[in-house]
Amino acid sequence: MVQPKKQKYIFLAFCLVPTFIMFSIFTLYPMFSGLYFSFFEWSGSSQTREYVGLDNYRRMFNDDIIPRTIYHDYFLVATKVVGIMIMALFIAVALTQLKIKEAPFYRIVFFFPNIMSVVVIGILWTFIYNPNLGLVNSGLEAIGLESWTRPWLGSTTWALPSLVLPSIWAGIGLFMLLLMGGIANISKSNFEAAEIDGASEWQQFWHVTLPLIWPQIKISILYIVITTLNGSFIIVQVMTGGGPDNSTHVMGSYLYQQAFNQYNFGYGATIGVMILALSLITVLLLQFLLRRDKVEY
Amino acid sequence: MNKKFKWHWLAIVLAMFLLIFAAACGADEVPDEGGDDDTSEESGEDDSESDSDSDASGEEGEISGELEIQYFVGGYGDSWWKEVIEDFQATYPEVEIVEHAGPNINEEMRSRWVSDDPPDVVYIDGAGSSETQMVEDGQLMNLTDWAQDLELEDGTPLLDSFIAEPSDYDGELFSLPLVFDTWGTWYDAAWFEEGGYEVPSDFDSFMSTMGDLQENEDIEPFVTTGQHPYYMLRGMLYPAFGAAGGNELLEDIITGQEGAWETDEVRQVMENVAAMQEAGYIDGGTGALNHTQSQMNFLLHDNAFIPVGFWLPNEMADDVPEDFEFGFIPSPMNEAGDPMAVVPDLRPLAIAEEADNPEAAKAFVEFVFSEEYALSFSEHTGALMNIEGVDLSESEEVPPYLIEANDLINNESEVYYKPHPMSSDLETPVSDALISLMLGDIDVDEFIERAEEAAADYSGE
Repeated sequence: MVQPKKQKYIFLAFCLVPTFIMFSIFTLYPMFSGLYFSFFEWSGSSQTREYVGLDNYRRMFNDDIIPRTIYHDYFLVATKVVGIMIMALFIAVALTQLKIKEAPFYRIVFFFPNIMSVVVIGILWTFIYNPNLGLVNSGLEAIGLESWTRPWLGSTTWALPSLVLPSIWAGIGLFMLLLMGGIANISKSNFEAAEIDGASEWQQFWHVTLPLIWPQIKISILYIVITTLNGSFIIVQVMTGGGPDNSTHVMGSYLYQQAFNQYNFGYGATIGVMILALSLITVLLLQFLLRRDKVEY
Repeated sequence: MNKKFKWHWLAIVLAMFLLIFAAACGADEVPDEGGDDDTSEESGEDDSESDSDSDASGEEGEISGELEIQYFVGGYGDSWWKEVIEDFQATYPEVEIVEHAGPNINEEMRSRWVSDDPPDVVYIDGAGSSETQMVEDGQLMNLTDWAQDLELEDGTPLLDSFIAEPSDYDGELFSLPLVFDTWGTWYDAAWFEEGGYEVPSDFDSFMSTMGDLQENEDIEPFVTTGQHPYYMLRGMLYPAFGAAGGNELLEDIITGQEGAWETDEVRQVMENVAAMQEAGYIDGGTGALNHTQSQMNFLLHDNAFIPVGFWLPNEMADDVPEDFEFGFIPSPMNEAGDPMAVVPDLRPLAIAEEADNPEAAKAFVEFVFSEEYALSFSEHTGALMNIEGVDLSESEEVPPYLIEANDLINNESEVYYKPHPMSSDLETPVSDALISLMLGDIDVDEFIERAEEAAADYSGE
């Protein structure tokens, strides 16, 4: 029986309208409000605000800290993408291909950080890095590398690299599962055929596994980039507060500092607009760079 | 057909999009009007004053209705507030008191302040609150005239009874200083006595004691929180600037006057900080520590000196080792021969400009400022209320360090005053440069250059 047209519209409306309304209220409205506020000088804590046109944007281009926050963000993006993808990929291959008996146990262990709040992870690692009582310095001392000990989060040189480790540790699990799903979908016959042709494990990984899970890898990379640009703020805020001397500020944490500690809400909104623009550009660029024909064997 | 269907949907989507966008802008225009109102707020202020006056006269001073009180609960706890509010309730049974309190209350109440529906009385303290910002935003009631008539029980005018003067905004008064806090340097008196260490009284003796501690105890004697470098700024540098250049220098620094950081006095103070760093007296891990961690290090004798306010013993009460004895001195950054310097850090009580019940709010503020509650404040919190002449020794519950500190402040130190707290727009960049100086990443010249730049940016705003 042919479905009446009206019924089809009603069904479509039923599916789309509530979602669209929610999307408008919780995504579009705040986004446009942010854009709107970026044209005002406003403390964010009163009704008084003054329209200043593009002043906040001019200020942003002259702010010495902004380029540093952008660099810090992309430093985290790059190190996280490389670190997480390499670790997640190898663990995923190991757990699916190497027929380890304890695979389910490792799966839980590696996924565990993902169910922890980032705030808890941040606090945990603050203790690990603690200059006096922390595991890292105590460990280095125990193995006779005392000269390597340093106040990891308290040094303008080491604080930012120190944030990479907890970020990677917290991120591996999810992508490991995603990649394991991809690998599990590869037909065994592909590997068997490769084996018969004399391909080594490494060649199998490089020429069979990798091309066939490329869509998952691409999604993982995009996801890491987006979540880092939007969310690295939490770990920075908890572990260093952007310091010492702005050496770990990312765009998000600097936005927070300006909007809520320095009472420059309008300027904070301007930084928000910049984050949006940079995220969009980055994602578009990545889509372009990661494009690759779908491989099927 | 399919094409038509698509257009149809696109039209609906676009219409909704426009609607939302219009709503977004529309809603925002309301406060904007409020902003316009704000320019006429000075005249509006008079209206509200006259309104409340007529209320008071009309009801012959009867205080009733709902009274909302916002107070931050930090290191001092809330037991004193509970006592005062209970007593106020007993005195004014017609008033229905609503308390908004807690460690995050400033954030929680932010939306009320933004929407011009603030509580009536606010105690301004803790993270997320700024008296300067509230005054700039016109959120606090002008108390200049009203406060003139306030008196303590014995008839002395309240404004003459303060230990430290209220913040002054071009001659206007927007808040009354409730808590007399002061930053200073803490040490473990028992440890010092046992080890025979001299309690410093000027910068030279400070350095020499730190040298002894470094040698004998194998520690870096000085610690502060690097995550909040303003502890160092307010706790060590303000007194140093006061001692070196008096109120005038302090005012120039806080208001961001050009050239203030380049003066010889300031340069000498910063050289002293650099000397502490070069001698290895500042904990190498300082940059990483938040305030609790730095205070914990201090309690564990990883360090011997820490600049914090009066709230330290109360805040760390659960972690104090058994034989630890808090000792407090004004930060010894003064040159030999000069008196030690104290720069009060006041935590004020204020009434919202848009208070729904200004009469009850005024009654509450008047009620709080009494010698009785000043004494009970010290008993509850181990700190001082900003009322002169309260005899702390008559109570056994006041901790000994407070009596000693009170004596030091009153008799052996010079008290210098900030005109008002430093704006966070100036304090943040200066603090950033300061932590770099303390870590040895930059030298005094670079610090001064950055501080001057921050002051110029701030003044140019």
